[in-house]
This record gives sequence, structure tokens and C-alpha cells, in this order.
Amino acid sequence: MSVKSASVHAKWIVGKVIGTKMQKTAKVRVTRLVLDQYLLKYYNKRKTYFAHDPLEQCTVGDVVLLKALPERRAKHVTHELAEVVYKVGNVIDPLTGKQVAGSLFREPLTDSMENPAGSLTEKLQELNITAA
Amino acid sequence: MPMKGKYPIRRTLDYLQKGDIVFKNTVKIMTVNYNTHGELSDGTRKFVFFNIPQIQYKNPWVQVMMFKNLTPSSFLKFYLDDGDQVLVDAEGKDHKDISQHVKKILGKSEEVLHAEELARMVHSNPANFGPKKYCLRECMCEVEDQVPCPGLIPLPNEMRGKYKAQMKGIEV
Repeated sequence: MSVKSASVHAKWIVGKVIGTKMQKTAKVRVTRLVLDQYLLKYYNKRKTYFAHDPLEQCTVGDVVLLKALPERRAKHVTHELAEVVYKVGNVIDPLTGKQVAGSLFREPLTDSMENPAGSLTEKLQELNITAA
Repeated sequence: MPMKGKYPIRRTLDYLQKGDIVFKNTVKIMTVNYNTHGELSDGTRKFVFFNIPQIQYKNPWVQVMMFKNLTPSSFLKFYLDDGDQVLVDAEGKDHKDISQHVKKILGKSEEVLHAEELARMVHSNPANFGPKKYCLRECMCEVEDQVPCPGLIPLPNEMRGKYKAQMKGIEV
């Protein structure tokens, strides 16, 4: 019977967090591609949604996946936080699982850095033995 | 006078309607991550440039988002209705390979599309008259060689009820 039960069409949404000043609520900006009728070109159209975030784990700039709530929680809050897709400053590449910053990897990818250090310590030990 | 921009053919209705990929009903969100420089992302960049408008035209209810220069790798990610996520690696692939792969895994097959089109044809009867949204014609006056609309051209007196009633009154 309740008319406002589920938000129209928007069951799952991906957006960027723009504000966390409310308690347990995140303001999320969602962009969709809308066709300009005359130019026949797609442009981003923004819409803000308010999402319930019980653990206050979002920071401004995160990319976030929202799920529609079965019943409207407050006058404006219609979605809840499902997961943080890309955390700002700590983006993890889904293909490799490593931390990433822009077009570089933050951690060294291969483990070959350890061997030179190991060989250096071995050489130092050899020198000590010969000195003694 | 030529159209403006690079490859302005992308901005024609004909090109948009020729899009292959119609997503299954469970696909809700499509995310494309790519880099603006580098050869590995070249296929994905071309995919975004050429194929995304076609995909969005055929799937108006799917949210499509582009992320540039977030990760060194390029990939596509789909978010389905049950909470499932599909990750498609697009590094080093050609844009045609990417679109064919996406069509194979998440697109509606030819048979399903044909069946839907038949169902749509069955529902809409071209012989019906009604609002422009649902039927081809609203009034018989729109059809060639029929009596034209009396709003534009007055009807001849023999067809007008008012005149006939007057004549009847005078006779009697």
C-alpha cells in the first residue's frame, strides 16, 4: 500500500561520495549518461542520493555502491551503503589485488628486491670471517 | 556542409540504432576503467569512443560510468541485480574483441531479441486508431483519400447534421 516503498528503477547505484557531514548518512552523487536530443551526444547528468551508512566508513571522494532500501528510511534517505568500490587514496586494483595510485603500483610487484640484500649480507659475513 | 567533430557518424540515429549489445535484464550498472595514455588501454579507449553510445542507446536503464586513470590496468565491471559482479579484463584487447566478449557473456541472444520483437508486434495492431504513442493514426481524416478534417476544410452541406435538420424543418 505504501507508495514510496522502493525508489523507481534505481535498485543498485554507483556514485561518488560528496558529503559526510550528516550522522550515519552519506551524500552520494550519481552520474548517468543522458542523450542530448539535438546533438545526439551523451553527457553526464548528476543526481544526488542520500545513503544510510551505519558505520560512518565513507570519506569524501570514495566511489560507492548503493542498494535501494525496501522501505524509505527518512524523507530523503532511500538507499543504503552496499560496499565501497574504490576508497579514496587506497584504490585496490581488482585484477591484481595490489594497491594502486593513478597509473602506478604503490608496492613493488616482483619479489626480486630481497635477493640483492640477502647476497650483500652474505658478502659481509664472508669479509668478517676472512678478517678474523 | 559536413558534420562537426571527430567521427561525427557516432552522433547519428542510424549508428546508435545499429548497436549490437542489448543487456540481459539482470545487468544494472556498467563501469569502465581505462587510462587516457598508454597502448594497453587503447582498445578500451576506442570501445568507450565508439561503442558506449550504442550500448547506452539500446539499454537506457543501465547506469554506465567511466573512470579515467584510477588504476594502471583497464577493465570493465558489471553489477548484476542479485549483487553479483562480473569483472572483464580489457588490457591489450581490441575494441571489437571487447564488445563481442561482452555480448557473449551478458548480452541477449538473437533468438531472445527476435522473440521480444514478435511479442511487441503482436501487441501493437496497426489497424487501431488512438493516441500517437500507442497507434499509428488518431483519426480517419489522417488517411490518404478519406474525408479531410472538418477543422481544416468545412464539410459539404449534405454531410452536415445541422443543415440536414434545417432542411427537414423547412420541409415540414
